[in-house]
Amino acid sequence: MAALGYRRAEDRLPEHAEAPGGELDPAALLGDWFATDHRATGIVKLELTRRDGVLYVRAFGANGAKPYDLARSYDWGEIEATLYGSAVTGTDAVACSAVYDFGFLVSILVAHLERGVLTVDTFNTFTDASGRSNYYSREFFHR
Amino acid sequence: MNSMFMAPVTRMRDGLVARRFRPTDIRSLLGVWVNYDGASSGICRIEIGDWENIPTVRVFGAARPVPVDWGEVAGAAFTDGTGTGAVAFDASYDFGHLTVLLAGCLEKRLLMVDTFSTFTDSSGRANYYQRDRFYLP
Repeated sequence: MAALGYRRAEDRLPEHAEAPGGELDPAALLGDWFATDHRATGIVKLELTRRDGVLYVRAFGANGAKPYDLARSYDWGEIEATLYGSAVTGTDAVACSAVYDFGFLVSILVAHLERGVLTVDTFNTFTDASGRSNYYSREFFHR
Repeated sequence: MNSMFMAPVTRMRDGLVARRFRPTDIRSLLGVWVNYDGASSGICRIEIGDWENIPTVRVFGAARPVPVDWGEVAGAAFTDGTGTGAVAFDASYDFGHLTVLLAGCLEKRLLMVDTFSTFTDSSGRANYYQRDRFYLP
């Protein structure tokens, strides 16, 4: 068997361990996630769903004068996400990533689950001529 | 009505972020960042340099007998939306059999770096997430 390519020790399979193969189980991530900050100016809600073995993310951006106004939030639409386990031998997903391209803005969204809280970081790059700063934000979500 | 107000948004915060009258100041990211955990099986150090105000990222993966040099790639710097100082960066590597997305942010003089690793070979290894924390010696 050919040696597996690796770039750090964590990429290697432990001795006598077999690669799990197959797909990661996204069960721990699935559901509707709500911002813990009711005055959030970023993402107020995330929907994580699975169809045909694929994880989809649907984000809703804050909008409106009233805090936490889900009804008026911006619906970013649903896109495919990539799942990650906690190790190369993992079978359960603990994190995911997705990239939204809005034409004027690209948002890389990365999320990981820790003790029931979903931490979501977005790396936002404006591609229009508005002159706005590319920015990073971290937000926390609960079910 | 000013033109900023007309700029498209995906959330309230997009409309609140500052215009970039000045380039992002990436000095806060620069240096040789060393993992707090000397026994980490992930990344042992990250060198972040300045190439015409673009952060260059060079990662060294933990391995024995010597760390694996991942080579240098161009990253991107991000502010917190209000100031001009960088508070985060991202970068990505494509090794052919593996792609790695690095997502790092500064927190109280500590650089937290999350890696999202996706295997593109047929080894059957699971894609995985890992977090490492780094300091400037």
